[in-house]
Formats: sequence, structure tokens, C-alpha cells
Amino acid sequence: MSAPPLQPTSAAEVQEAVRTHRRLLPRGGGSKPALSWPHEGQTVLDLSGLSGVLEYDPGEYVFVARAGTRLAEVEALLAQHGQYLPFDPPLVAQGATLGGTVAAGLSGPMRQRYGGVRDFILGVQFVDGEGQLVRGGGKVVKNAAGFDLPKLMVGSLGRLGILTEVAFKVFPAPKATATLLLDFPGLEGALEALYRLAGSPIELYALDLQPPGTLVLRLGGLPEALPARLEGLQAFLGRGGEPLSGEAETAYWRSLNELNLGEGALVKVALTARRIPALEQALGQAPRRYLSAGNLLYLAWNAELKALDTILQAQGLSGLVLKGATHRPQIGIDLGQVMGHKVTKALDPQGKFAQEPYAAQD
Amino acid sequence: MQHKIDVEQLGPQGEIMAHAIEACVHCGFCLPACPTYQVLGEEMDSPRGRIFLMKEVLEGNLQMEEAQPYLDKCLGCQGCVTACPSGVPYGELISTYRGWSEPQRHRSPFQKLFRIGLQETLPYPARFRAAARLGRLGKLVQPLLPPMLKAPLELLPEALPQSEPLPEIIPALGERRARVAFLAGCAQQVLQPGFNRATLRVLAQNGVEVVIPKGQSCCGALALHTGERGRALQFARTNLKAFAGDYDAILTNAAGCGSGLKEYPVLFHGEPEQAQAAQLAARVKDVSVFLLELGLKEVPPLKRPLKVAYHDACHLAHAQGVRAEPRQLLRSIPGVELVEIPEGELCCGSAGTYNLEQPAIAATLGERKARHILASGAEVVVTGNIGCFTQIQTHLKKLGRELLVLHTLELLERAYAQAALQEGPS
Amino acid sequence: MNPALTELERLFPPGRLLHKPGELVPYESDALTAFRARPLAVVLPESHAEVQAAVRWCAKHQIPYVARGSGTSLSGGSLPIDGGLLIGLNRMNRLLRLDPVERIAVVQPGFINLQVSNAAAPYGLYYAPDPSSQPVSTIGGNLAFNSGGAHCLKYGMTSNHVLAAKVVLPDGETVELGSESLENTGPDWLGLFAGSEGLLGIATEITLRLLPKPETYHTVLAAYDSLAKAGEAVAAVVASGLLPGAMEIMDSLAIEAAEAAVKAGYPLEARALLIVELEGETPQVEAEARYLEEVIQKSGAYEVRVARSNEERLKIWKGRKAAFSAVGRLSPDYIVQDGVVPRSRLGQALQAIEELSARYSLRVANVFHAGDGNLHPLILYNGRLEGELHRAEELAGEILKLCVALGGSITGEHGVGMEKKAYMTEMFREADLAAMQRIRLALDPQELANRGKMFPGETPAQSFHGAHPLEKAGVISRE
Repeated sequence: MSAPPLQPTSAAEVQEAVRTHRRLLPRGGGSKPALSWPHEGQTVLDLSGLSGVLEYDPGEYVFVARAGTRLAEVEALLAQHGQYLPFDPPLVAQGATLGGTVAAGLSGPMRQRYGGVRDFILGVQFVDGEGQLVRGGGKVVKNAAGFDLPKLMVGSLGRLGILTEVAFKVFPAPKATATLLLDFPGLEGALEALYRLAGSPIELYALDLQPPGTLVLRLGGLPEALPARLEGLQAFLGRGGEPLSGEAETAYWRSLNELNLGEGALVKVALTARRIPALEQALGQAPRRYLSAGNLLYLAWNAELKALDTILQAQGLSGLVLKGATHRPQIGIDLGQVMGHKVTKALDPQGKFAQEPYAAQD
Repeated sequence: MQHKIDVEQLGPQGEIMAHAIEACVHCGFCLPACPTYQVLGEEMDSPRGRIFLMKEVLEGNLQMEEAQPYLDKCLGCQGCVTACPSGVPYGELISTYRGWSEPQRHRSPFQKLFRIGLQETLPYPARFRAAARLGRLGKLVQPLLPPMLKAPLELLPEALPQSEPLPEIIPALGERRARVAFLAGCAQQVLQPGFNRATLRVLAQNGVEVVIPKGQSCCGALALHTGERGRALQFARTNLKAFAGDYDAILTNAAGCGSGLKEYPVLFHGEPEQAQAAQLAARVKDVSVFLLELGLKEVPPLKRPLKVAYHDACHLAHAQGVRAEPRQLLRSIPGVELVEIPEGELCCGSAGTYNLEQPAIAATLGERKARHILASGAEVVVTGNIGCFTQIQTHLKKLGRELLVLHTLELLERAYAQAALQEGPS
Repeated sequence: MNPALTELERLFPPGRLLHKPGELVPYESDALTAFRARPLAVVLPESHAEVQAAVRWCAKHQIPYVARGSGTSLSGGSLPIDGGLLIGLNRMNRLLRLDPVERIAVVQPGFINLQVSNAAAPYGLYYAPDPSSQPVSTIGGNLAFNSGGAHCLKYGMTSNHVLAAKVVLPDGETVELGSESLENTGPDWLGLFAGSEGLLGIATEITLRLLPKPETYHTVLAAYDSLAKAGEAVAAVVASGLLPGAMEIMDSLAIEAAEAAVKAGYPLEARALLIVELEGETPQVEAEARYLEEVIQKSGAYEVRVARSNEERLKIWKGRKAAFSAVGRLSPDYIVQDGVVPRSRLGQALQAIEELSARYSLRVANVFHAGDGNLHPLILYNGRLEGELHRAEELAGEILKLCVALGGSITGEHGVGMEKKAYMTEMFREADLAAMQRIRLALDPQELANRGKMFPGETPAQSFHGAHPLEKAGVISRE
């Protein structure tokens, strides 16, 4: 049995927790349970109490918030000023936090337009494995001073430090959006259109592929320009498709944000569009969706994770289990390399944040 | 850039060098514009690297011999001058430095002989013609010669054209619109008398009376750029006298000569004739610029459309900033389709006597240029300088592609004469 | 000869191992000539294996090294180390692969930034990061210093456009960081490597992401009779909800210099010029342009020009991009600063810089990426006048402190390098720097890679033309 979760409400309390505990696992909103499910001997550090937006000046396109702040709270605040998180993080309604989103490295469909979570993080404050409070980056939109610790924290799964504060760049939200669903007879046609779109100057907020052959495209911008652009897009593709607009359109994407793809484990896979045909052969019936022109796959896996691990390994891909019963959320090819091992030990010399105690590792 | 050059000790020429070095901020914008940096990929063979070297030598921190190999490799093309945002007068710097360093240099007897040979023949058409005849004999034994002697032979034509004595005055045809003096050039008189023939005809046709002053000599650029400042001054003094008359302009049809004349103010900096030199330089114009300003008489259309590549001679484009005018002249020939040569701003490797003194680098650049010309899809290459003409013709031939190469005014002349252009080299 | 050098001779042929004085002098500085240092030797590797061999040689003989591309760092980031090895990567300048379908380019580190876009242009693609040095600077250097440019607010910096890199670590081991995917499922090691200023290794193969060229550009040049009005215009553009690709401001000194350099046709009497560029799909840009016009009209611009052709657009940009070096026409010496302030503090920062300029009796030209608050004050001085360099350095330092005090950064895109390392403590606390230093030591326990850069307090192992003013001021020390 693990110890009950700790609930710090300040960075100092996080430092204290790190100094006084042997092994810790940070948890935000718990929306990605596979990543916050403690191993034997790990104490859960529940950061949901470390919450609140600290600074936000809409004119700067920047905000600073405590790591446990829920995405929903941030998005509501930004929306009041016509702004949004361009990387479109998933699981907002499930209570995902800023820190958890950074640590898991998660972005959503709209990353297609301006980039993912790594492209918008500006600054971090975290507690390292020795209980030191460390800051990296800054809170201006451009900064090249010191090592880029903010980027390093993206996808770090809490193993390099416990995030306590984050700063992000944000953008004005598109004043109007429209979505186009296009069914192609098969994968081949859909992929061909996907490539054509990705290499064209058409600026899509989302470019998703719903297998076997549906492309879902989202346009955004000034309302007066949108009809002409939608027509241009249809002409470019040589087909009308099924347009969505208004409340139906918003609802469509809101529902997708929950990543309720189907039964089983929820898994993220990083890839490129070139890998899709082979992967499609291997994945069978698992419900799935490719985002951002084939750079990101979310899928529901309702079988042994070991089988998916094998598939990904065979394809030379890496995956991350977000929901599902596993102690090894990183599947597929081993991303470990010597630089990673050394830097991890530099920030966490005693292995306080490691999945397994250091001694137990190879 | 800061420096500790003892300007007082170096005198007026030192001022020129110090001023240029001071203007350099070492930003590196010159690197992609420098042919030797492109070929050799070393900082010493870049403009800012050479500026560093000259600075260190002038400050007394570096032995002159240590810097010399890299300064010798400079083509003097001034591609860097065009690229330089902070306005370093690099051309003035390198010429002045060469003039300053040459008397102090140690050269092998062979090198000395070679240099004297060049300086004593190229600027004198009669001597050059005699030497070139001799050179044609040399072609027979070419494979046996060291590279330094092979290079000049490679550039010699198979047959030398008849010499064409130039009249002193060529009257305008029809109404006289202008009266100009003309510098006839040295090497081109021997190698390509057609350049002057065409130039004079086109000028006459456009109502320009041309005077070719008798007492003129070589402009002196060849000597100046190789560090023979005394010799350059001699030539220049002759020309100051010869071109002293009242003309609407002093014209040249060779890029190197034009820029040579325009360099007189730097050459005479601190000399008694300084003001006179500035006056002369201010009146010098390339024939293409002059014609465009005058307004070209209508050119009849070509018999069929022609793809023409205009090759920027460095001493026109970089040293004189003349790029648009020759192109505009060519565009005024109906039927000419101008194509740009990729990497067009890079020197072809001719650069005065450079292809004779640094044959390996010159050949690399020549081949590179020839390949780019071929890639442009042009049927005819046009340029405004004898050196480029010879270099390009030689390297196109080496690649087995004998494209027609012409002087800008030759194409214009043929267009006026409605002559066929498609046949092989003239 | 030094026995270690003899060993190096076996690794590099004579033409690619430079060690004579005449060969070394030109390598003594990068684009920050206030610092100079003579390396023991320069090697010019032509392959990954040769880079690795050079790094291993350094590790074996404990000789510090600096890797360098075109040597255009404005922060002294590629300054050699006295007695160290300089690894010149400019000959590793091949485009290894261009895949227009997957929209990636794989290049060697010496490949020039602008050449990426040139190579991609036939496919309607381009490489977004556009530092002003882009015709010269290499991708390797851009990656090491996370170079920015005029389009960072919307498109990010170099690190947002590099997908993968093959890296030789300071111990000579090779690692592959990143992948061709924009996504990742573990820590972003490549993100850490980008901008690490050569302290964490040398990239020998870099995979870049290419973007489709925008369909339309709309470039506006607005002239103002005060810098403050131009600054307010930027705030107004932002407040209107527009997201221009670039917003740039130049003051009268910078206008004068740029105009002299490239004849861009700037209105010479203007006290400030604002360049705003919209880009994207034509209907969207046309609609945005109408909003922009309104905002600019209200902002008090006395002259507004819109580029009518691509040539006009390029001319406007050419002037802006030549501005730094062009200032060499106004003054024999200058220091380029690179601070960042929150955009809303731009006016305040410029006011303060003007006051500092008066107080120090030194002219300051201002060129900046207004869209992201990235200031580039150019402090003009004459190094031959006693004490001017000292005053210029002090003034530069004051400006950096000001940026931090206003909530900004000591560098937006030039990096810390030599020049700003003394100011790292203004921005970071001891624990922050200690964590960074631990990361560095984990990879480079001997501190060989670009020793003496980025971290404050390290003895700068280089020689100056006389004592450095920071040294005189007691900010840094040697020996």
C-alpha cells in the first residue's frame, strides 16, 4: 500500500515534500491516470492545490500560472479577452492541469496551426530531485538566456522535477471558425489530400484524419473572409464535403477534446504521415484519430498493451499510455539515450522521481 | 573595428587603409559574396579575414609574409563591397595595401620575371600582340610547361585577329548628340578588336562623335591591383594629360578600365594631381550607362527570339555599381529574352591577371561560372569586359559547349545590322 | 611542436589543420570584435567522424574547444579559447536531403540559413527562422544559439523549427535527438540542446521543418514623427486582435544607416519607422489589411506605404536586415544589445534608453522586433577615444538591467555568449544557474565545450585589446 497523497499548496511545501520523501509521483488533475498511478514505494504528490493564474496581461500574449491550475480555468480567463491556448490541450473537461499537460507533453488538433505545447511554453519553475526550486526561461515571448529548461520539461513525465509554475505564450483566438468533413473512398485518397493540404498555403487550424478515409479540416480567421476561404478550400480539393458551423461545429471539437475514442487504454503515438499506411494495416479495429497532418495519433486500445507495444516497436514508433492499467506508460521503441540518462541524473541524482529506484534499473 | 595603425607614419595611403579597416564591423556579410571563401572555405581567404590580416600586419603584430598568401589569393573582384552593409571600401584597401607591401616583398627570381613580363606586355598592345604570337608557338609545348606558364597559354585564342589601327576621331552619323573621349583598352585591342569596332559603330549610329586621344595609355589598373603603384601612377599621369579636353564624357567599354579610371582619386590621394584625378574620374562612364542616359535609337527586332544571359563583370557590377544599365540596353533589343545566371554576383575568376597568377582557383571559378551559364539556358552570353569574355569562352569550351560569347555592344551592333546571331563564335 | 598537435596532424590533412599565425589571426573574433582570443589550432572537419575525432582529441588532452560556423555571433558565442581548439564547421555545408512531400530538409551544420529557403523555394516551401544574418549564418550556429529573427512572435525561434539532430557530446559519444515527427513521447532533449550555446555538444546533422510559403504578403511601412507613437501603434495592432507575421521599428539613426547601405527608399526625415507584415491566405490577409489600415491611420503615422510588389517588399526588408552592420557607417564602433521587455513596456524602455544615451553622451540607434518586445539598441562609440568603450559597455549593462527590471530578458536571440554572461545573475538566481551547471557537468565534466561562455563568473580565457571594461568595473575577472 502506498502512503496517502501529499497536497502541497506552495512551492515551499513541494520542496519540503521532495526533501523528506524517498520517492514521489506528481499528479495534477488525474486526467491521465496511467501517468499518475504510483509504483510501489512512490508517494503521490497531488498538485491540484497549487493552483491559480498569477499574471496575465492580454496585451502581452503571456500568462503565468501555478502548475496545478486547471486548463478549464485558464481557457475561460483567456476567452474573456478573445485569446486561447493555440496548442489546444486535450482533456480540459476531465480536469487536466497546466502542469500535467506539460509533463505529459500533450497537444490537440489545433496544434496544426501554430504548434504544440513545446512551442508555447515560455518559462517554468520546478523543484529538482534535491529539493531546490529552479527557474528556467522567462515570461516574455522571446528569450534565449540560459538552457531551455521549459522545453526540457515538456514530456518529462515528472521525472526531471516537479513543476510548480509555468508561463505560456497565447494568441488571439480566431474570430470565426468553420469545419469541413470530407469522406474519401479509402485511406490512399485521404492521405493524398492530406499531403496536398499540408504542403499548400492553406492555413488550417486542424488537419485530422479519421480512418479509414475521412479528413476533418478546420478553418479560422475573420468572419468576412471565411466563406471565400471555405470555397477556396473546396475548390482546391475538388469536392464539397460536409461543412459544419455554429454551435454544431464548436460542439464537435469540444467533444473530441475529451478523447473518448472508445473502450480500453488511451494511447498517444508520435509519428509522421508517412508511417500511417503501415500502421493502419497493423492496428486493426482500434478506434483512433490522426491529428496535425499525421504527426500525432490518439488511439483507444482494448487489448493487451503488450501487443500494441510490439506493433509500435516493429514500426519504429514510440507511444505513451495516458489512461489504462500499466506501470510502464512509455511503449514502443526505447527513446533512452546517454544524454537523457546523464541529464536525468543531474537533476534527480537520488532517483526520487524515477519510475524504479536507480539501483533497480539495468 | 578598433585598430592601432600608425597612420602618421604610413602617410596618406595609410589613411585610406585605416579608414577602411575602421569601417569593418566583422559581421561576416561578405563571406557568401567572396569567391575564394566559397571555394576554399577558410576565414583567411575571406574579405573580413583579409582585413584582419592587413590590420595585424599594419599594426606590426604579424609578419607580412604570414599574411601574404591569403592577400595574394584575393581576386579584387569587390563582390564584398556590394555585400557590405557598413560600407567598407575594400577595393581601395586591398589596392593600397598591395601598393604598400609590394616594394617590401621577397619574391623568387622566376616570380619577379613573370610579373615583369606581364607588366611589360599586357598594357602595351604592340608588345602584347608580339608576345601572343610567340605564345601561340608555346601552345605546341604547353603540356611540358609549369602551371604558371600554362595558364596564359590556355587563354590565348587559336588565331590572333588582324590588328586594327583606330582613327583619332569617329564622326557621328546624322545629327551629333554628344562628343566623348574613348579609352581604347589594352588587351582587348589585341584579342578582340571587334569590341571597339562594335562600340564605335553603335556610338556613331547613335549620333555620338568619339575622340580617341592619341596620347592615352593603359589605365594602370593592372599595375595598381598587383601592387605596382609607381607604374600605375605613371600610366595615370599620362591619361590625365591625354583626357584633359572638354568632352561630354570619357567612355570605356571594358569594366576593368572603367573602374581603373574611377580609382584615380584613391591612387592620387596625397599627390599633387589629386583634384585633377577626381575631375577625370567624375566624367568616366561605361558605354552602356552613357548610351542609356543618352537614349538609345530604336533597334530593329531580331530575326528570331534569343535567350541572352548577361554576365556581370565584377568591375562593372561591384566596383562601379553598374548592373541595371547593360541589362536595360539588352532589353531594348526586341526579341532578346534576358535570363539571369545563377550565382551571378560571383566572379568568373578572370580578375585582371588573376587567372595567370592563381590559375587553380581561377579555373575552379571559371568552370563554376560556365556551368551556371549553361544552367541558365542561355543561347548567347553577353558581358562588358575582355577578361570575363576570355575566361568564359575558355571554360565553356572546356566543357565542350561553345556558346556564342559577345560584348554587350557587339550584340547591339549586330542587332542594328540585323545580322544573324545564331552561328558559332565570331 | 606540441605532441598533442602532432597527434591532431594525423587526424587532419595539412590543408584542414591550421596553426600558423597567419592562419589563426582571422579566426580570433566572431562578429563581436571587442573580444579576441587566439586558438591553438583550427580544424576544418568534413564529416561527422572527423568532428567526433576532434572532440575525442580534446577530451583526451583536456583541451577546451569551440565549434563555429560562419562566426557571426553578436554575443561572442563563437569566440575561440586561448590555446583551445577551434572546430570550423563551415565546410560541412551540404544539403543531405530535401523531401518536399514530408516537408523536411536534412542539412550539415555549415549549411547557410538562407540556402535552406532557396533550396525549398521550387516546392513552394521555406524555412521560417530568419535572423538578419541569414545570408551568412549557418544552421549549426542558429541551432546552438536558438536564433530568432523578425517573425518570432507568430512562428517561434530556431528551436521551434528543428525536428532532429545528430549530436557529438563533449565526451565524443554520438546521440540522435528528436525525430521527424512534430510530437514526442518523452522529455524534449532536443529542446534542451537548442540554444545551449555549444556547451552540450556539436550537431553534425540537423533535420529542419519546412513550411508552405504564405499565399500573400501585405507589407506596410508607416512613418512617425516620434518613437513613442510607433511603439503605441504596435500596442494598438496587438490590441486589435491581429497577429502580424512581423512588426519592426527603426529609429532615425537606424533609418539613416540602412538607407545609406541599401537605398531601401525609407522616408529619411522620419523619427521612427514601423514595418508591419501580414501574411496568409489572400481573403484573410485582405480582410486583416483593412483592420490594420484603420489602426495605423489612428496611430498618427504621417506617411503610410504599402509594398505593391515582391521587389518593394524585399527592399523594405533588405534595409531592415542590413541595419546592424550599416550602423558601421555612422560610427567606427558599436555594441549591439539584445534585450527583451514586455511589449507594454516598450515605450518606457525606449524613454529610459534615451535618457541613458544622454547621460552617457553616447548615441544609441534603435532597431527592434517590436512584435515581441525584442530591443536592439546599438550603442555608438569610438574605441580610439579614451574611455568611450568603457562608457559604452556600462551603458549596455544598464540597458540589460533595465530589461530584467521591466520583467524581460537579457537576450532575445543573440544568446549570452561572452558578452552577457556577467548579467545572467540579474536574470537567474543561484539555484537556477546551479541546475543548469549540473546539467552541463553531467555531459561535460571537464568543461571543455565552449568553456567560458554563458555561465557567469568563469574566467574568460581570452585576450582583449586592452583590459575589458567589465573587468575594470570588477564585473568579470581573469586569472
